[in-house]
Amino acid sequence: MIKLLPLIRHYLVYHRGKTVTLTICLTTALYLPLTVHSLVEMLQAEMVRRAEATPIVIGPEGSRFDLVLHALYFHTDAPGTIPRKAAAGVGDSGYAAAVPLFVRYRARGHPIVGTTLEYFPLRGLDIGRGHLPTLLGDCVVGWQVAQRLGLSPGDRLLSDPENVFDLGGAYPLDMRVTGILDPAHSPDDHAVFVDLKTAWIIEGIGHGHDDLDETADPESVLRTEEDRTVASPALRTHTRITPENLASFHFHGDPGEFPLTAILAFPHDPRSGTLLLGRYVGEESRLQALRPREVTEELLGMVVQLKRFFDFHHALMFAVVGLFVALVMLLSLRLRKREAETLFHLGCSRGTLFTLQAAELLILLTVSAVLAGAASWTTVQAARTWVQTLSG
Amino acid sequence: MSRRHHILLALSAVALGTAACREATVPDAPSAGRETLTVYTVNYPLQYFAERIGRDLVEVVFPAPGDVDPAEWRPDDETIRRYQQADLILLNGAGYARWTRHVSLPAGRQVDTAAGFPDQLLEVPDAVVHSHGDGDPHAHAGTAFTTWIDPLLALEHARAIKEAFRDRLPEHTAVFEQSFEALAGDLRALHGELEAAVARDPDRPLFASHPVYHYLEARYGLKLESFHWEPDEMPGESAWEAFERKRAEFPASWMLWEDQPLDETAALLAGRGVESIVFNPCSQPPATGDFLDVMRENASNLHRAFAPDDNAAAP
Repeated sequence: MIKLLPLIRHYLVYHRGKTVTLTICLTTALYLPLTVHSLVEMLQAEMVRRAEATPIVIGPEGSRFDLVLHALYFHTDAPGTIPRKAAAGVGDSGYAAAVPLFVRYRARGHPIVGTTLEYFPLRGLDIGRGHLPTLLGDCVVGWQVAQRLGLSPGDRLLSDPENVFDLGGAYPLDMRVTGILDPAHSPDDHAVFVDLKTAWIIEGIGHGHDDLDETADPESVLRTEEDRTVASPALRTHTRITPENLASFHFHGDPGEFPLTAILAFPHDPRSGTLLLGRYVGEESRLQALRPREVTEELLGMVVQLKRFFDFHHALMFAVVGLFVALVMLLSLRLRKREAETLFHLGCSRGTLFTLQAAELLILLTVSAVLAGAASWTTVQAARTWVQTLSG
Repeated sequence: MSRRHHILLALSAVALGTAACREATVPDAPSAGRETLTVYTVNYPLQYFAERIGRDLVEVVFPAPGDVDPAEWRPDDETIRRYQQADLILLNGAGYARWTRHVSLPAGRQVDTAAGFPDQLLEVPDAVVHSHGDGDPHAHAGTAFTTWIDPLLALEHARAIKEAFRDRLPEHTAVFEQSFEALAGDLRALHGELEAAVARDPDRPLFASHPVYHYLEARYGLKLESFHWEPDEMPGESAWEAFERKRAEFPASWMLWEDQPLDETAALLAGRGVESIVFNPCSQPPATGDFLDVMRENASNLHRAFAPDDNAAAP
């Protein structure tokens, strides 16, 4: 066998076109299922990790998939809103710690997550540079946001207008970046975090403006009545919160009715979790409480047929490549018939001829397997952050 | 393709895995595993109550400088971050310390110590009402916040603090209950003193240099007319004219001050037949003694103001 190696090497090098073609075919046939399988495994692990890290999600009635995807990944719109007092109700129940979320707006395309300071330790998020928000209008940004937008503590970040054609709509808020989160390899890397009150200011529930009784601009006052001053639409509302105008910011309405899009509930123990879920069972409840892990599994169960399609696709492709390789080898044998006869006449046994052909194929398979493995490993490593961010 | 579809497609590539049954629960609070709590307050009375109830199980911090009114104080970033790291943040409620509305504090560690008596909170009259365009009218002024000068409301503040301590350090419930009962006894005694003082002449009118005595007025049925005078500032000419007009229709012979007024102001008042007495709300730590000492002195001063003999000071 060893003595045949120089002969095999010379043959493979001389017919390099055929060698390269076969290697690419075999490498591709091995690379695709190997890589997809690894990515699927990683996706599955990361999705389960994110879902398990969020024991219960509470939100408005509607699509439970929308609610869970919204609360975990901030991608989809929530089915609706629920009042702030619902979060207080969770906390007051004594069963769980509640972390409210209000996610409706974006800054340079990244979701603005209005929440409370409890979110950060519960998600295991650490501040890499700077500090957590302290004042209204402050934000901390995920690591990827900072990388993409080149942000540092002290920089400013403008929220996106809800509708660029709605000139009378809510003004974008010019936020102060107070901190950059360490990489978390999760959707949090792509989010901008603000205090709930800041999110409500972007929503338009809270605002700051000149004191109507002291404003020097007569156009700011529409009319003065006996018991009230009516501001005109020309009244300037602040779009940047500064220490000077901070005190002028205020909210309208009952704080208990201010909107949330979801509540993350972290039960004190499994029994408390079960009891908490029980509070939202029944027709009188206008809210739904979900276990994200179960919803995720349900979602996966609904699309498992597609996974089978992928498996079938890979098996088919592997078979086709196998047939192609067999065809090439058969054609090669026919082309090499005179060469084989010459070798036979030189005293080479038929067994040796078979060994020669088999060794060539084995070498090609080995080289292809090594290349496919290396390429697959490289792809998985390169995609790891993307996969973790998408699902983790 | 929407991001939702993007995720759904990604999900479609995922096999239905067998998820582990592990479930996340609440991570440890800052105080977990510790024997003491770090407590931040927004005024001195809450600090006093917390220290009395928590004894050596709590470290109570009230970080405002001594020369500012805590109601109007605005902490800097560094101080806010220290508040954020506290195990417990005691708020007075009733709209007190407006700065807390404009900062980020951990919701689960804040305790509104006035949450137990919303029906006893008093609205500030004469707030300017306005509206934006055709929107609903509203007012930014709201609730009177010097709640603790009423000893029975102070008792409710203390009760909320005790319950917050008990929830976080349940193994020390007996200590908290015992300390609270001692404090409650002192506050009830103080209430008795104030009640007895006013009972000497319940219809006697009083001036107040500043509108901070709403809860005292409500609890003891005081007849009060308030000005906007500061103890360390001499009232201007227009203020004196307003005073004279008010005096003509409201014959009070005593004025309550938050602190000792300027000698000149006190003399001018005395010349008009109005004596000055101090009823210090004690929102900042006193130079000597503690909250209860100051309140007892306030009660003693009030006792003097309601003495039948002193009524002769009126014109």
